[in-house]
Amino acid sequence: MQVDIRNRPSFANLLVHFSPGDSIIAEAGAMATMSSNIDMKTRLNGGFFGAIARRLFGSESIFINEFSANSPGELVLTQPFPGDIVCTELQGNTMLLQPGAFIACDPTVRLSLGWAGFRSWIAREGLFRIKVSGKGRVWFGAYGAIFEKEISGEHIVDSGHLVAYEPTISINVGLAGGIFTSFFSGEGVVTRVRGQGKIYMQSRSFDGLAAWTNSHLL
Amino acid sequence: MNQHNQSFSGGVFHPSIPGGRAGAEITINRGEIIAYTQCDGQPVFSIPINQCQLDLGGASGRMLFCRTPDGQLTIFSEDKHFAQALDLHSGGLLGNQINTLKRAVRSESKKLGFWILASSLACALILFIGYFAMLWAAKATIASLPISIDEKIGKLALDSMDVGKRLDSAHPASKLVQSIVDKLQPHAAIPNMKFKVIVVEDPQVNAFALPGGQIVVFTGLIREATSAEQIAGVLAHEMSHATLRHGLQSVSQSLGIVAAIQLFVGDIGGLVALGAQIAQQSILTSYSRTSETEADLEGARMLHAAKIDPQAMAEFFGLLKEKEGDIPDAIAWISTHPQHSTRIENIKNHQKSFPATQYEPLDLNLKEAQEAL
Repeated sequence: MQVDIRNRPSFANLLVHFSPGDSIIAEAGAMATMSSNIDMKTRLNGGFFGAIARRLFGSESIFINEFSANSPGELVLTQPFPGDIVCTELQGNTMLLQPGAFIACDPTVRLSLGWAGFRSWIAREGLFRIKVSGKGRVWFGAYGAIFEKEISGEHIVDSGHLVAYEPTISINVGLAGGIFTSFFSGEGVVTRVRGQGKIYMQSRSFDGLAAWTNSHLL
Repeated sequence: MNQHNQSFSGGVFHPSIPGGRAGAEITINRGEIIAYTQCDGQPVFSIPINQCQLDLGGASGRMLFCRTPDGQLTIFSEDKHFAQALDLHSGGLLGNQINTLKRAVRSESKKLGFWILASSLACALILFIGYFAMLWAAKATIASLPISIDEKIGKLALDSMDVGKRLDSAHPASKLVQSIVDKLQPHAAIPNMKFKVIVVEDPQVNAFALPGGQIVVFTGLIREATSAEQIAGVLAHEMSHATLRHGLQSVSQSLGIVAAIQLFVGDIGGLVALGAQIAQQSILTSYSRTSETEADLEGARMLHAAKIDPQAMAEFFGLLKEKEGDIPDAIAWISTHPQHSTRIENIKNHQKSFPATQYEPLDLNLKEAQEAL
């Protein structure tokens, strides 16, 4: 099964080319268009309680869709907001995604919900995160462009810009600078990521969009 | 117990792996930490325990990393038995290292807890100071606004209110009340405020003032009063509400609290807004009590200046103590009247600060007004 990421980075979407016997798991509502020969099966996203927990805390749907085909076909998957999509290949390792980032994965990938902790919450990265593990490809999206960085030691990310990270990375909340700088620089609270591993960041943040929109409302 | 068969799920970082990382099953055997990866070709990596450099961290804070001295190879696991097994196999060599790392993590989380507490306290303090600064600013602003604004708001409020049947201004009760107001008016804090009294047929023992000087008196109050001075006491209190501009203050506060929270917190979600509303309700209640006390003291001053014994006001509160009328919700400050006994005490204490004067009884026929009702 070949998957192309098209129209990057602003309006990225996935074009999935099915060969007979292929299948892919996708977030409910991600399908934009598909060939008529593709089967779509809807099932709970994990167990019953797991699915509900992911809906409540992970901003993901209760249901996920499994698309499969016995003959060649095409499927287009997309995300609700403008931005890039990337693919990461898991080799038995785990990746943690921010709520709402997950788009699709190979059927061999396991999806679960992990507790992210209060530090992550204060850093405005959410109390929970989606955990993807196993072997296979995972596609996830972000608002704006996505850039990745291999961390070794410490790195600073503004709150709301972290999209995905490895469990080998620790998330800490910190002030951007001194008290004065932090409050008046517009940076406020930042996320300090520490450890060895990869992080994915988005070039825009929803908080930033919300604040900007708010300032233009009456 | 066969420790050699213990395996832990975790992972490996090594440049030879495509992508640099892979999940792995980890075992400890013959002095080596061995990781069996699941990626293509299933390469195996190992670190001798005596060369292992430990680190604790990860998203959970419980992930244990073993690194080679050159930092090229890292084997990690989150399994809580992994640390025990390492300690055991190293003959206690790594146990101390692990404990030191754990202590560091604990002290860091304590430090974080302290910062969270300190910053929430700081935020609370800023909100607290900001709130009172806002109140002060509102009061100062109101003082500089023209009285015509009070009059407009008062007129609007009265027009939208269904107060009940109004007595004719020629009615003896209306005349009685108006003549008391006329006697008090020269002593009002705002000299050019036009006071207008409306007597409404209603059994409630009550009266209220609207911004701008409109005063509504219920006939129940006139009936229950045992002297014209008592009615003068209530009127002085209500006139003080108008001259102290409490109506405008209470409006500005309701708006001010929301504005203050938005200023400090930014966009507030539904839950925060609800919390703010509840807080606002309780703050306003106690603030209105402050207004009540202010109106009592200012009323007593007016009575004294008009040569009417302020004691009559206290007397009437004694009467109210026995007879509590039904209170319409729309009139915020009536529903928040302080304890009568406290008010009587306050007025008495305040009266002591006035210079001694010969009070004159009011030359008014209360009985005639009461019989005409």
